[in-house]
Amino acid sequence: MAPSSGRRQPPSSEDLDERNIVGINKETITNTVSTDYPDNYANEEHAWDKEAFRRSFKVQWHDNQQYEAQFSLIGIDASIANAFRRILIAEIPTLAIDIVYIYNNTSVIQDEVLAHRLGLIPFTGNKKGIQNWLGFWRKPAPGEDSYATTFDSNTVCLKLQAKCTHNKDAPPNSKDPKELYHNAHIYAKDIKFEPLGVQEKHFSGDGVIRPFNPDILVAKLRPGQELEIEIHMHKGFGWDHAKWSPVATASYRLMPTITITKPILGADAEKFADCFMNGVIGLEPVTRKEARSKGSGYEGHEGELKAVVKDPMRDTVSREVLRHPEFEGKVKLGRRRDHFIFSIESTGQWDSDDLFLEAVKTLKKKCQVLRPQVTNMVYTF
Amino acid sequence: MSRETYQIPTPSQTANPGSSSGGGLNPGAQRSPFDADTNTVMQYICGDCGAKCPLRRNELIRCRECGCRVLYKERTKRMVQFEAR
Repeated sequence: MAPSSGRRQPPSSEDLDERNIVGINKETITNTVSTDYPDNYANEEHAWDKEAFRRSFKVQWHDNQQYEAQFSLIGIDASIANAFRRILIAEIPTLAIDIVYIYNNTSVIQDEVLAHRLGLIPFTGNKKGIQNWLGFWRKPAPGEDSYATTFDSNTVCLKLQAKCTHNKDAPPNSKDPKELYHNAHIYAKDIKFEPLGVQEKHFSGDGVIRPFNPDILVAKLRPGQELEIEIHMHKGFGWDHAKWSPVATASYRLMPTITITKPILGADAEKFADCFMNGVIGLEPVTRKEARSKGSGYEGHEGELKAVVKDPMRDTVSREVLRHPEFEGKVKLGRRRDHFIFSIESTGQWDSDDLFLEAVKTLKKKCQVLRPQVTNMVYTF
Repeated sequence: MSRETYQIPTPSQTANPGSSSGGGLNPGAQRSPFDADTNTVMQYICGDCGAKCPLRRNELIRCRECGCRVLYKERTKRMVQFEAR
């Protein structure tokens, strides 16, 4: 047995902090893997514990608008945070254009391309109607009638009909196609909802099915060209096609940490602040107390400006500061490994905060499916 | 009926062009095009001026507006189905 063995000191709080920080150096990244699992540290437990998790886990909201949210999940493992992100992108159902019936399209844009463009337009409507009432459409089996599975409870019908004509009242020397012709540009707002069956009850007034951004350009026409299109929308998942993804993007980043280890003063401090995003580094005068304390590095610099870290969350961790020799050894960059700053941008069918709650619900449901299977596995062996 | 087999072009009715689609969930029901006799009028598009020229069978192939002898067929009014992906 090695002479140094025996009871180790429990880790200090600085040690614990240090363990949770990914080091970011000039050309390398260190300490990237989580270490908080059993048998990794001698004399430390680290088995996952519900109560410990409940005590340490925190959610912080930074920004909660209807279609854009930013919040932090603190004290959670990367695997769970990533599961939420992936569920947000691919496993929350939305309504999107699925089948396009083209009766006439004499515009320059090809049928296939037009159908694809239509599919990617995000739509919105009464949330309860889309999320709770509307069901999923099933592709008819081979041999079955093509509309055997199409009902008002799983399909939303839209229509796009437009013909471009000359505008007789156009100003004589105009060159703008929008003035010269009627219907020169076809926008998403020209797609009209056609309620079927009882859909009127669920999607009317404010809740009508409509494009979330009415000004998306779908096609351009010239006189004599026309479009006559019928559209079926179905509910689907992002794993099937990105058009069903409820988020423009859902992503997370780790909380940056900036530690100033040696004082940075005067002109250097200003240069230091310029190395980061605006608002990350602040400049404060050195106080009398600091200037008097021996060994602080501030002796005799009372009233000069020093660099202080104000808001590391705004930093992009560009590492610009590590390129300058004058800051060498004076600053340490890192990222907090268990602090995830989520940002969710909804495409308009869901509210962004609802989306996260739905992701939690989905993960819970998945776990409920997994649990009996794990139990069975244990029983069979 | 497969979409790939040859299909006789649809004679368009000059009275109501482009209103062939029925609303609702059953697109595609159309009139049979097989009764093409000498009185059936087919629409063509002039290759020069772009005007529509209704032509009967055995009529001179020539645009009435500009006299151009190149005429194009119209796009079929038959429904084409696409998956939006």
